[in-house]
Amino acid sequence: MSGPGPGRWATFSTREEEARERTTPDRVLIERVYGYAEKHKRSLFAGMASIVLTSLTGLASPYMHQLAIDKIIVPGDLSGFTWWVPLFVTIVLSNHLFQYIQTYRMRLVGENVVADMRDDIIDKLQTISLRYFSEGEIGRIISRPITDANTVRIFLRVGLTSILMDTSSILGAFTMMYILDYRLATLALVMLPVSLLTIWYLGKYSRAAYRRAAVVTAGLTARMQEDLAGVKVIQSLVIEKKVKERFEEQQDDTVKANNRALLISSSYMPLIMFLRLLGTIAILWYGTELFGVSGVTIGVLVAFTEYQFNYFMPLMDLMAMYDQYQSAMTAIERLFDLIDTKAEVLEVPIERRVELP
Amino acid sequence: MSVAQPLLDYVKALKPRRSFTESVSAMKRLLRYHKKYGLYIVLTMALSLARSYLFTLEPLYTSLIIDQVIVGGQHDLLLSYLEIILVSGVGVGLCAFAMTYVQGVMSQYVVRDIRSEYYSSLEEKSFSFYDSTAVGDLISRATIDLQMVNAFVRMWLGTIFNALFLVGTTFVILYSVSPTMTLIPVATMPLIFYFTSRLWVYTMPLFRNMQLILGKLSSYIQQNIVGMKTVRIFGRQDDLVDGFKQVEQLYVNTAINAGRMQALYMPVSSTVLSLGITLVYVYAAYSTLSGGAAFTIGDIILFARYMMRVSFPLRDLSQLLGTWVNASAGLERIFEIIDTHRVAEDLPGAKNIPITEGRVRFEHVTFGYSKKRPVLKDVSFTALPGEKIAILGATGSGKSSLIYLIPRFYDIDSGMITIDGVDVREFKLSSLRKQVGVVLQDVFLFSGTIRDNIALGRSDASLEEIIEVARIARIHDFIESLPDKYDSEVGERGVTLSGGQRQRITIARALISNPKILIMDDSLSFVDARTEQQIQSAVEEATKSRTTFIIAQRLSTIKNADRIVVFEDGRVIEFGTHAELMAANGTYRRIYETQFLGKAPENSSKEGNSK
Repeated sequence: MSGPGPGRWATFSTREEEARERTTPDRVLIERVYGYAEKHKRSLFAGMASIVLTSLTGLASPYMHQLAIDKIIVPGDLSGFTWWVPLFVTIVLSNHLFQYIQTYRMRLVGENVVADMRDDIIDKLQTISLRYFSEGEIGRIISRPITDANTVRIFLRVGLTSILMDTSSILGAFTMMYILDYRLATLALVMLPVSLLTIWYLGKYSRAAYRRAAVVTAGLTARMQEDLAGVKVIQSLVIEKKVKERFEEQQDDTVKANNRALLISSSYMPLIMFLRLLGTIAILWYGTELFGVSGVTIGVLVAFTEYQFNYFMPLMDLMAMYDQYQSAMTAIERLFDLIDTKAEVLEVPIERRVELP
Repeated sequence: MSVAQPLLDYVKALKPRRSFTESVSAMKRLLRYHKKYGLYIVLTMALSLARSYLFTLEPLYTSLIIDQVIVGGQHDLLLSYLEIILVSGVGVGLCAFAMTYVQGVMSQYVVRDIRSEYYSSLEEKSFSFYDSTAVGDLISRATIDLQMVNAFVRMWLGTIFNALFLVGTTFVILYSVSPTMTLIPVATMPLIFYFTSRLWVYTMPLFRNMQLILGKLSSYIQQNIVGMKTVRIFGRQDDLVDGFKQVEQLYVNTAINAGRMQALYMPVSSTVLSLGITLVYVYAAYSTLSGGAAFTIGDIILFARYMMRVSFPLRDLSQLLGTWVNASAGLERIFEIIDTHRVAEDLPGAKNIPITEGRVRFEHVTFGYSKKRPVLKDVSFTALPGEKIAILGATGSGKSSLIYLIPRFYDIDSGMITIDGVDVREFKLSSLRKQVGVVLQDVFLFSGTIRDNIALGRSDASLEEIIEVARIARIHDFIESLPDKYDSEVGERGVTLSGGQRQRITIARALISNPKILIMDDSLSFVDARTEQQIQSAVEEATKSRTTFIIAQRLSTIKNADRIVVFEDGRVIEFGTHAELMAANGTYRRIYETQFLGKAPENSSKEGNSK
């Protein structure tokens, strides 16, 4: 891993801590977080159920389009609209409703869970020995109730929802595709490993680039922290310019590192979009070949391209969630670390305190 | 009263309407940082236009395949159409890549410029600013808040351009297929616009409040962890925790409220467009069958497909709101600091003036951190060249303020301080500060080598010069005993230094520019006898032939001073030599006898600063 070495740029960064491997298994962490969520069990399950229902009603949509095209528009049998329109409207509206319930309930759970965790940390910070503060670096502790808690918050709010929704969308899309036409569905399935590999490979590169950038950024933060802590010295020695130059230099390095990471991450999304398009082209080509010969209708083709869209986007999303999941787990572990720190000097309970005369 | 009361009051005072105007002015200011990067903006726009155009080709040719190849049976067209879709897809990908990259680079630059300005402004803030601000809070503004800004700058132009151009090109194509049926998607637009604007109006103030509350909470934690020792001693922690929880509850409530609004309005555009598709099907089918305008199956699919696609950039647009609110709250916190004017500046006509003698004169000096409560009142006395002045007084009597006024770390309210007869305000700040050596109360060393630290004020200092000042500061022998000697690293990665060792390095650091005037805020009171003796000897040596002001904590310093200033309540009550003041039989004698000679003389230094 490259980064500012010791020496002139050395700083009391939190690098070592950031790079540390997680030791607690995910399952344990998740169980503990669930402990916090238990108070809001009803909201949690209502939210989770709505997430699944949102994706299911979403999946019904392309199928409805297929029915409209194949059963009503192509044969010119307009009476079909009498059942199709109300059904479609119901599906669309209930999709909206489920989205509402899901977003609202998950937000409720996420915010409360994180607030409770944060409260526990603040309580803990009040009881653990003063020695902890003089030894540890204050900034590192401060980052926990705010930065780490925020990471967890965002994860509970967006990440968890995405994971559930994406998984059910992908499974649902494939189920629907197999129902519609097994040959086209198999074609889509065959393309899956190729896409997955590309996404994974690219993600790995982009993660590594970002980690390098994050190390450089941490160095910049530490630089700033030191300069500000020593600002009175800087002013008294009139070395503002010199110190500013040093900061600018390091800042430019940070920008460069970030731009390099950007080059990789910018190609991520477009490449995936392109892969999706290849899938669409394959379906259009093979579908056209099959058309008429073996029951592939226009409606099926249209629905297929939509379903292919429906599994591809969530797939991408899911891959992106991997990072968020990892950083959330790291943050959760750090939070619990702090919560579990043994208080060295506990406050004496009030009833046992002795009044001095 | 709860310690958190001001915080709660602050949160309750947050006004939605005000937040809107403030957010607008933050945006205007942010735009100014974009000015230098006009090329990037033009590039983003061009790429977005190209991308939108290419993006519309896929549904268009899909519908052509359906009409001409599948329905029309012209199989020879299939490959060329698929080729167009493929090429347009490659084009879309390249444009999207370039757009993300260009915008990302621009946002790096914009954020860098803001951070630089922020950093510069911090370097210039006066001591009183830092006396009342937690460094951690300043850092979190430069990190978390700027991250929010970056997240917004990185996407806002592209999101807006994409929405505009994609909607634009889509409507052009739809219009060319059927002007009448285009009325259906057109009709959905006002609805989408209406609901999206409702979303903005409702949630923007909530988001902003959340961001501001979070900022305050973070400052609150900073202050109370940093200041925890004091808090704990006074047993106020329950109060603090309650306050924290109250504010946090407000945060949670606001967040859930905002979530509710978002949940209700966010999916609106895709819902409305989906319902619009129903109308397209019904209209197109009836129109074709009843002998009106005839639509091919491809046309109908084209309409449906476009209407689904158009909802994506619209959704991005409404998500931009959240990003902006976070960014604007972050920007406000940054600008708040940049705009805080607590800066000592060169007055017009300030000059580089060499200090030749070092005669320092206080004439009726009055100074306070706030105008109403002066810390120093009408202080007058003169320090002769080369004289060592010890300053004695209770905590909070204004001792530190007094000596920091000389290099203008604070500016006086009335009266005058002169050096060799010249008002300190006639000096250029840099000229003044370079000639006044300062040993601060806080024995702060930068990470890096000992050599770097001593030479901080004069990067051209030779090793011989560094060794010379280190000898004077009585730290040379210790440094020589380290394995890397002067190249030893200090700080977390390097050698651990005691307070006394650090202090002597800071003395050497102050001496490297050979100042005529030296001010020392000697705070080290808890030291063992040997260190005491070393520091004393260092101070003796360092102050030779310099006018020195020293805040005295220990008996030896006071007795060795040429003259002693005794402070009480911001006024000079006694001024003279040790012998004179003892003879005067006043406050000095009382302090001397009770504190230094009193119960435990060998512990005297510990008591030096108490009342």
